[in-house]
Amino acid sequence: MSSGVCRRVLQSAGSPPAASAGSWSWSWSMSSCCRHRPGLRSEPRRGLSASGRGTMNVFNREMKKRQKNWAASLQDGHQYDYLRNEVGSRVADRVYDIARTFPLALDIGGGKSHIAEHLSKVQYKYFILRLPCISKGSADFVERLFLTDVSENSLKRRRASEIPTHGVLADEEFLPFKENTFDLVVSSLSLHWINDLPGALRQIHQVLKPDGVFIGAMVGGETLYELRCSLQLAETEREGGFSPHVSPYTAVTDLGNLLGQAGFTMLTVDIDEVQVHYPGITEVMADLQGMGESNCAWNRRAMLHRDTILAAAAIYKEMYASEDGSIPATFDILYMIGWKPHESQARPARRGSANVSFGDLSKISQPTDTNKS
Amino acid sequence: MSGSNAWSRSREKMRLFPELFAQCAGEGATYGKCVAATSTGRQELKKDMCAKEFEALKTCFTNAAKKKAK
Repeated sequence: MSSGVCRRVLQSAGSPPAASAGSWSWSWSMSSCCRHRPGLRSEPRRGLSASGRGTMNVFNREMKKRQKNWAASLQDGHQYDYLRNEVGSRVADRVYDIARTFPLALDIGGGKSHIAEHLSKVQYKYFILRLPCISKGSADFVERLFLTDVSENSLKRRRASEIPTHGVLADEEFLPFKENTFDLVVSSLSLHWINDLPGALRQIHQVLKPDGVFIGAMVGGETLYELRCSLQLAETEREGGFSPHVSPYTAVTDLGNLLGQAGFTMLTVDIDEVQVHYPGITEVMADLQGMGESNCAWNRRAMLHRDTILAAAAIYKEMYASEDGSIPATFDILYMIGWKPHESQARPARRGSANVSFGDLSKISQPTDTNKS
Repeated sequence: MSGSNAWSRSREKMRLFPELFAQCAGEGATYGKCVAATSTGRQELKKDMCAKEFEALKTCFTNAAKKKAK
């Protein structure tokens, strides 16, 4: 596996759609990236483009890279990291729930690497609990980590962790890794900016080894609905129409289908609601900007009228404020765990192979029955 | 880009926003209630449905800004 070297991955040139305010625009874009990386992928990208199904092109990935670079180069950027740290620690918890060692792991869209620092910290906690029954020296859950991101500044400023980490500059939609490489793929709060989510999940499935696991966290569902509604009402009242300011999110019900279509088995999807309280709407927007989560959809409006901001601030405060005057912003974090199929995984039993009957269920509690359980 | 430009100036102005907005809490609440009422009521929200309340909010806001600038 040769990806120890930083490789620049060129993004496909999606044709910019004709944008009209207030309407969704779709465009068919063919991925032209396979030309630029010969030999790294074991199978060409025919499957995705030949089916005739175009990919959605909702987000301007170039703009997202610039926004992330800007956010990473801020002097006091660490004050905006609270959400990523929290979600990163929860993803690391899920990694620890799996009693296995992962020699090679990949963190997609990891930015400044918010998961790895929690992986090494929790390791010590588990080590102390297991003190009476130490069998091997040190239990490294993850031995080597590859961190990819579109933004070079984020990779340069990544947080230190005890796991040896390699940074790779790559787009989440065009992973430059060979098939069957990684034991573990994690992703925290970056999948919601991907244009072709089914394609990205399929690529993650490909780079995983059989019996490898993908643990992801993405914002979805009803995230930032307060901000969305306030801006929508303000724009309607002040300007007569509205355009989308908050990007579209995946519903938790769709996530199971997406993972299943990508080929993952033994799926686990759950949703966590994180509410963060802010003094006002400008702080919400400033924090989102500082996190690198500014809007980059092609159909975004370039400006927000000052009257609309004033109106939205008043509406947000009136409709959603809590007793102490602060306003909440909701982040619905969807956590997903999916496994790449392998023979060792449990399968449903063959039809007709049952040797106990459901009718015996009532006899379980009776002590006289000492037959097979 | 060094020095002051349109973006740095507007960012500076936006920094004052929370303080000025806090001084107009009453007008803001009135406007917010007007809009919230239309969203739960039978009529759909249309342009300038709460124009009066918004004018009151805006004059309060601009007066607060003028006072701050002095």
